[in-house]
Amino acid sequence: MLALAWANLMHHKLRTLLSALAVGIGIMLMLVSKGLASGSIAEVNQRMQSVDAEVVILPAQDNIIFTNGAPFRGLHERYLRNLADERGPLAAEVIPVFFGQVKMGGQQQRLFGVDPERMEAFLGTRRVLAGAPFERAHGFADRVRAGAEPPPDMADPAYQAYLADGLELVIDERLRRVGGYRVGDEIQIMGQVFRIVGVVEAGVAGRVFAPLQTLREIVVAGETNASMYFIKLRPGLAADQAADRFQAALGMDARVELKSDYGRLLRDSFASVSLYMTASSGVALTVCFLFILLTMYTMVIERTREIGILKSLGVTRFGLIRLAVVEALLISLAGVAVGIGLAFGVRWFIVFLAPLLTVDLAAGQLLLAVVIGVVGGVLSALYPGYRAARLDPALALSSE
Amino acid sequence: MNDELMIDVRGLHHDYTHGTVVEPVLHGLNLRVRRGEFVVIMGPSGCGKTTLLNILGLMMAPSRAESVGIAGCETLGLSEAARTRLRRNELGFVFQRFNLLPTISVRRNIALPLRIRKAEADGQVGELIAQVGLAGCADKKPGQLSVGQQQRVAIARAVVGRPALLLADEPTGNLDSGNSTAILELLTGLHRQHGQTIVMITHNEQLTVTADRILHMRDGCFVD
Repeated sequence: MLALAWANLMHHKLRTLLSALAVGIGIMLMLVSKGLASGSIAEVNQRMQSVDAEVVILPAQDNIIFTNGAPFRGLHERYLRNLADERGPLAAEVIPVFFGQVKMGGQQQRLFGVDPERMEAFLGTRRVLAGAPFERAHGFADRVRAGAEPPPDMADPAYQAYLADGLELVIDERLRRVGGYRVGDEIQIMGQVFRIVGVVEAGVAGRVFAPLQTLREIVVAGETNASMYFIKLRPGLAADQAADRFQAALGMDARVELKSDYGRLLRDSFASVSLYMTASSGVALTVCFLFILLTMYTMVIERTREIGILKSLGVTRFGLIRLAVVEALLISLAGVAVGIGLAFGVRWFIVFLAPLLTVDLAAGQLLLAVVIGVVGGVLSALYPGYRAARLDPALALSSE
Repeated sequence: MNDELMIDVRGLHHDYTHGTVVEPVLHGLNLRVRRGEFVVIMGPSGCGKTTLLNILGLMMAPSRAESVGIAGCETLGLSEAARTRLRRNELGFVFQRFNLLPTISVRRNIALPLRIRKAEADGQVGELIAQVGLAGCADKKPGQLSVGQQQRVAIARAVVGRPALLLADEPTGNLDSGNSTAILELLTGLHRQHGQTIVMITHNEQLTVTADRILHMRDGCFVD
């Protein structure tokens, strides 16, 4: 039966090829869209997990992907530091982060404003590959902490001199490679010229770091706002219980989560987009399998006489359905192979065009593609197979 | 049912219905064919020969009949699956238009009935290919053969499974006289060799020479 199915398909090479290509495009769309979503989520999560902390405090909004601005005030930070039980403060360290935006490496990047003194919490074991994780920004941060007041007039050269030491950036190796940056390069952000002073190994929470104090000065006139906090807990504290304490203390103003749950939060935030992408892929795949159904149906109509011959030789109804299923399966499995090949090709192209994007073609997704191919192939062959099985052999043999 | 009889048909009627118009084709036909007999059916076009052959070949059910016994089995009331099984195991067909599968080779076409029965094919098929004089064409597709060669393939396919009953519907209808003679010799040779029962429809008087019995049909009945 397999040989007959193969021979039938080879007899209509172009049609078989087009059908397989149609399935391949659908499979590729599914794999790439899923791969882009899961790759980006996995990469962001992996980077956030690199921060030396157990709890994250986020703005009280559902979607953490589009977190922007700095809704937390200095009051919040003080509150977090002071929240204590009978053995002392819960937080060993409160690490504020102030988000900005910068276009580097051909795409928008989230700019991580972090205190230069706390940079080691973000670096962990990752090495500094060039320059240093901030140079003069340490002094600038110290001056701000000591209460230095900037000149009131931003147009005043003295204001620029005040800010100058804080205009530093640290980038990761991947961004350096993609953008071709070097230590000493200057980047314009929010009307100020920042200088790249360090390159660190990829995998740190942000691709671009700037001094927290500088961003605060530029964006919120030096107020001690923050976009989110990482909390490093006092040793021995249970993270989930501590998170509950923080949540109870902050009330509705904030969303307190375990850092280990950040991946789930990202997936939840991406759920609606993911649903849209899944639906789009599903529609594309349905159309592709309808294409197979149409191909198989056309083949049944065209091969009415051959079906009559097979019936005259004693092929059962089930045998004819099986023949249609085997043909459709061969097309759809070829389509899956084409789709997987195309997906790897498109991934290469996407990474070539936008090297900072990650398309994760996970084994599970590839397996899912095979399953979809098999199920879709079988389903799309059932009706044509049923039509073939129901043909009257004498009438089929008299068909022209 | 008499085991000596390969075909035992009684009171066979068949009508074709076109909308509200009913066209009777077979009128209470009776036919008995012994095992191993070579019967030729002749008659003008439209007299119901092919319809009779389709009914004998279990490819259509009669409108009504008292009995349609084929290969020792009463086929009236048989399920579709049982009819298919009987067709697969006991019957072989040779058609005027050859009815070969164009997508597969001569060898695969001939082996098809055995494959469908899930029987071993290799040696038997090779022998038959040689016997029908197509040794050099085994791997060609039917479309690459002459009409005479195609009919040889069709005959080889019909007999490869050693069916008890071979039904042939004008097997030389599309052939010139040279090829017709060759096909006739082939069929009679196979008949002699394997002793299969053959019922053949033909207009070719030449074929009647070797037949055990010749039946004439007219207007849905046997005459004589």
